[in-house]
Amino acid sequence: MAHIPMRRRTLVAGVLGTLPLIRPAAARTRYVFDQNVGRLEFVARHLGVLSSTGRFEDFSCELLIDPDRPLTTNVEVTVRTGAVALAYPGAVDLLRSPAFFDVEKYPEATFDGAATGEGTLARFFLAGNLTIRGITRPHRMEARLLERKMDPALGREVAEFSAAGDMKRSEFGMTADQAAISDTIRLAVRVRLLV
Amino acid sequence: MPCVSASSSDGWSGAQRRLHWIVAGLVLAAFAIGLVMVALPLTRLLEKIIAYQVHKTLGLLVPPLVLWRLWLWARRGRPAEDPTIPPWQHRLAAAGHIVLYLLLIAVPVLGYLSASTAPGEIETTLFLLIPVPHLLPADEALYKMIRPVHEVAAWSLVLLATGHAAAAIHHHLKGRRVLRAMLGR
Repeated sequence: MAHIPMRRRTLVAGVLGTLPLIRPAAARTRYVFDQNVGRLEFVARHLGVLSSTGRFEDFSCELLIDPDRPLTTNVEVTVRTGAVALAYPGAVDLLRSPAFFDVEKYPEATFDGAATGEGTLARFFLAGNLTIRGITRPHRMEARLLERKMDPALGREVAEFSAAGDMKRSEFGMTADQAAISDTIRLAVRVRLLV
Repeated sequence: MPCVSASSSDGWSGAQRRLHWIVAGLVLAAFAIGLVMVALPLTRLLEKIIAYQVHKTLGLLVPPLVLWRLWLWARRGRPAEDPTIPPWQHRLAAAGHIVLYLLLIAVPVLGYLSASTAPGEIETTLFLLIPVPHLLPADEALYKMIRPVHEVAAWSLVLLATGHAAAAIHHHLKGRRVLRAMLGR
């Protein structure tokens, strides 16, 4: 897996000075990754029984995380909406059109969030703002540490995280095809990090 | 007798006749819906989704019904052949029936494999209710091989069934009991 060498970020000295016991944040590492190491998908439901999964093939994510203490995580994601992909004939054109992502007018969508402090290492929550089509709404995701193990090929420990949360597309002005495409869309991201 | 091992002087049983017409109806409906569903634009997404699921449902009902027919045929046989039909036509009919049965099984199986390997990964549900697991994972290269074979086999099935129907009408017009036997009259 590709991985950008990380520089450790320390908290502002003053904060550390007054709260020396807050060690976790000091161990946070900044990871920057894109579609080559992570996967960003969205899942729509149809008629309550079917689903279709699309993905974004061009995004960048900046993650500030201590894999041992993910309750201090910060995340920023920027997605190029034109890079939407759904392996069904004609679906990409539909999703790029003004009825959906309106990629000419809104070429980017973003999520900016932080761990809420709730949960455990295996399952914790992120809350922040999701911006699609220029409309910003609060968005919440449930993140999980899926596995953490030694990768013999890399000679390093690898942690695999996933995060998923539901959004309502109508809140972002995407109201077309309500009969055929669910209003609730699940956003899911998955990434492997070198610890 | 050129091809039939068992025969019944009573004609086709009621179950054999019903299964014949049900399968014929399913094949024609699935074929027609298949043509419509691929032509529907994504702007009519709801109709398109429903058409695909109805097509899959009708198609997947065919193989079990065909196997049931084959089982009835093996157990009960078929009516004695009309001696006024020339032997070459018997042989042609027997070969046509073998290919028809093979296609009746193969076309739905190929359709199921197309749905399984399609990169869009749309689920298959019988009657929009019962999920049917896909045994193969999405695989675009495999899909691009299977999907055209499904289409060509489906056209072959419908053309062969049309020939089968034309032959039945031909014999009927000659006063033979071929069509009436299948209608139970």
